[in-house]
Amino acid sequence: MTEITLTVNGIDKTVDAEPRRLLADMLRQEFGLSGVHIGCAHGACGCCTVHLDGTPRLSCLTFAVQCDGATITTVEAMGGALAEHPLQLAFRSEHGLQCGYCTPGFIMTLAPFVDDMVAQRRMPDDGEIREAMSGNICRCTGYHGIVAAVRKAIGAGLGKDA
Amino acid sequence: MRPASFEYHRARSLEHALELLAEFGDDGRPIAGGQSLVPMMNFRLARPAHLVDIDKLPLAGIEADGPTLRIGALTRHEDYFGHPLIAEHFPAILDAVHYIGHPTIRRNGSTGGSISHADPTAELPAVAVLYDAEIVARSASEERRIPAAEFFLSAYVTALEPGEMVVALEFPLPPQNSAGSFIELGERSGDFATASVGISIEHDGVSVVRAAMVCSGADLVPIRAPEVEALLAGQPLAAPPAAEAGSSFAASIDPANDHIASAEYRRALIAQLTQRAIVAACTRALEKS
Repeated sequence: MTEITLTVNGIDKTVDAEPRRLLADMLRQEFGLSGVHIGCAHGACGCCTVHLDGTPRLSCLTFAVQCDGATITTVEAMGGALAEHPLQLAFRSEHGLQCGYCTPGFIMTLAPFVDDMVAQRRMPDDGEIREAMSGNICRCTGYHGIVAAVRKAIGAGLGKDA
Repeated sequence: MRPASFEYHRARSLEHALELLAEFGDDGRPIAGGQSLVPMMNFRLARPAHLVDIDKLPLAGIEADGPTLRIGALTRHEDYFGHPLIAEHFPAILDAVHYIGHPTIRRNGSTGGSISHADPTAELPAVAVLYDAEIVARSASEERRIPAAEFFLSAYVTALEPGEMVVALEFPLPPQNSAGSFIELGERSGDFATASVGISIEHDGVSVVRAAMVCSGADLVPIRAPEVEALLAGQPLAAPPAAEAGSSFAASIDPANDHIASAEYRRALIAQLTQRAIVAACTRALEKS
């Protein structure tokens, strides 16, 4: 066992970690963050995406012990208790989800992309949006609703309708 | 799917990492981004007893050193984008990196990791073979440079010895008049490639002076195509014998027959990719001239 300290969604916590414990399992079991979904456990589906020190990271391909001292954000910290982050609102209105299993991964992958586009003051084309989400698999929506949601969230950030 | 038990060690310096790797020998593996190693461990295809975490060591960076471009082992795939030296001198590398995984993999995966993992259709091993790169490997006792053509021995098997670790790749800078391209096909964006072809040419503005070609998916390691390279030399950039090169190369290989594609399909695919990569490289050469 190795003692590690993680700052997860703004709260510091020190836990014992067996080296082989995946960050995804640690977040679910020791931090109670069941929004971290584990779809494939080998980096193919993107469901377990969290932010490690501010950037998207597959928590199924990360050992918790590697993250000692790191800052981690999960979907639970996005948009408050009512999930009102602009991208979450857009997923709702644009039918960006159906069963919802993949949704936390999409939100965590795409929120920085939305921020980046808003900061650059530009609307990406659909090809760029699809490239940005190419590491996430959704079996329900056929992706059209997700692309529309990303456009809407970026449009909201740019201060006009997408 | 969870990995077998192992002991974890965070390296404080390169020297510390090499000491630990020397101590553990065959039972130790360095880990950086973990984008290839952790899936293998989750499947228990890899069961290292000791992981040496090198992720935070200062081994990242792309810089010209005289006639060579040195890429540090912890340079992330994403860092290749927008790098002026890559864009100017190594168009096939820039093309190839776009095909690596997807954005989250490219942000975390490292150059040394991809090279050491040696997936048969991985992109960085292919361009290392294409551009005659040398793999710089360090152990606690020595540093050695291994030509890419001698580094990849089989699928997931390299010339690295126990206790050794990749610290950098060194690419000879191509001459001013050069161009290149890299084309890959996989089932879906970000998937492992079914096959890929990279081309690099030196030219005089009108004709090919010297050509290099690499193909992944034809064998268990990326292979060069000496017959195609000889065929292209002296040919006009405006009308290279691309179809002939593709079909003659395809006839010379014996690709795998598996659940992804039949050998026949792979051969036809590689002929097409070869043709397109040659045309793309020659077109770029003309545009630059």
